Order: sequence, then structure tokens, then C-alpha cells
Amino acid sequence: MDKIIISIFILAGSFFILVAAIGLLRFKDLYARLHAGTKAPSFGILLLLIGVSIYFNTPVVYIKSLFIIVFIYLTAPLGAHAIAKSFDNKGKNKKQ
Amino acid sequence: MKILKKTYYLLAFCLFYLFKLVQSNIYIAWDILTPGKQSNPAFVEVPVILNSDTGLLMFSNLLSMTPGTLSLDISRDKKTMLVHVLYYSDEEQIQNGLKEMQQKIKRITG
Amino acid sequence: MNDSISTTVLLIAFSLLLAALILAFTRLLKGPSINDRIAAMDVISIVVMGFILVYSVLINNAMYFDIPIVISLISFIGTVAVSTYLKHKNG
Repeated sequence: MDKIIISIFILAGSFFILVAAIGLLRFKDLYARLHAGTKAPSFGILLLLIGVSIYFNTPVVYIKSLFIIVFIYLTAPLGAHAIAKSFDNKGKNKKQ
Repeated sequence: MKILKKTYYLLAFCLFYLFKLVQSNIYIAWDILTPGKQSNPAFVEVPVILNSDTGLLMFSNLLSMTPGTLSLDISRDKKTMLVHVLYYSDEEQIQNGLKEMQQKIKRITG
Repeated sequence: MNDSISTTVLLIAFSLLLAALILAFTRLLKGPSINDRIAAMDVISIVVMGFILVYSVLINNAMYFDIPIVISLISFIGTVAVSTYLKHKNG
């Protein structure tokens, strides 16, 4: 039973990372690409980490994976914000 | 008593965050995997009613993780925020949803 | 430990991650602006973290858990550094 749960978590995580890569290639402009590149990979790595830490099942692994999850969820929106803010769009979209 | 209330609000906010997270990922996976174009991108300026930096961090983080919105820029006096919306339908609806989110955060940070 | 995950599942996960790596690398090669390339690099770092996690399940060794921590730290710093450079360059 445990094995099935772990397999589902690992496969779902890899699937969401693949979805992010497809979106990165398929969307038309940079902002839509950032939408795909921020949400889906962090969710995929969250599912992968849950699966792998259920597999090892030791306190150290749980603490480490909690650290990785918190760090990624704090920094992924910040990274997207930095990329979008440095994008020089020739003043097309800014309203002011 | 006050701290109990704040803990309750914080737990409710965490559940809300997780719900929004799963919803946004299902939305974006559906949009990517089905052919055809459903997105309708637009830029929206949102007034900010929060006045603490922690609340602002929580709001922009939540904004970037909810379906179809991404925080782009904030004005220098921290009063308006430029938001990119992927599924633009109705200006008023979007503004109301974001305002509700800010009130949820304001109850926590005070 | 004899109750390991079946190798087929891990191989399927590896192939999904490999496809993601190839697609993100395509975007890295042909991205019109530098910002697209940075976004692609972000996704590539996540893919590499996924590779290491799945590999640690395959060889059954929890020691590999330190590598994703380091990759997540360095990838965030790299993203912010290149963005700041671009912002200063564009004025």
C-alpha cells in the first residue's frame, strides 16, 4: 500500500514538471511563460519531496525536505518578480 | 484571547493557501495540455490596503501562487501594485477577489 | 530494505523528467530575450533537483538529500543576480 502511494506521488511530481516545460515552450509571451514556470515546477517538486520523504521515513529527511519546500515557496515568486521587472518591453505595457 | 484568534486566522489562511495552490496548478495544467487558446492576458492595477512589509510579502506570494495572477511591480509609495492576469474577464470581479485576499491577510498581521 | 519501489515507476519518472529537460533546453536555446533564458534556467534547476531525488530512491541512499538544498540556494541567487544586472544595463 505504501509503495502505491509513493509511486503516485513521484509520478505526479514528474508530470507537473513536464507540464511546466511544455508550457514554457508553448506560451506566446514572457509573462505567460512566467506563469507556467513559477507555479507548476514548485508544485511538482513539492509532490516529489513528499513522496521521497515518505519512502525514506527518517526525521532528518523530513526536516531537510521541509527546509527545501519552504525555501522554494519563498523564492519562486521573488524570482519571477525579478525577471518580470527587469524585462525591457520598450514601454509598451507599463501604464505610466 | 487575541492570540488565539490570530492563530485561528493563520491556520485558516494556510488551508486557503493550500486550496488555492492545488486549484491554480490544475488550472494551468489544463490550459497547457488542451489545444487552443483560452488565455486572455491583461494588466491590472490593484490598490494595496496593507501597511506592513510582512503582509505585503504574504500578499505578493499568495498572488503569484493563485490561479492566473502574477505580481509584477509595486509603486514607490507602496500604494498600488501592477498585476498580470492571465484569464481576464471582468475588472470588478478581479478587484473584489484581490481585496478579499488582502482583508484575510490584514486580520493576521494587524 | 527489500520493499523498494518497482524500477518501472522510477524509469517512467526519469523519462518524464528527461522530456522536461529537453523542452526547457529548447527554450533556453531559442528564447527571443535573455529573460526567457533565465526563466528556462530556473525550470532546468528544478528538473535537475527532481533527477537527484528520483536517483536517491533508485539507489536507496538518503545522503543525496543535501544536493537539492544547495541547488535551490544557488539557482535563486543566480536568477536575482542576472536580473539585477539586466535592470542596471537597461537603465
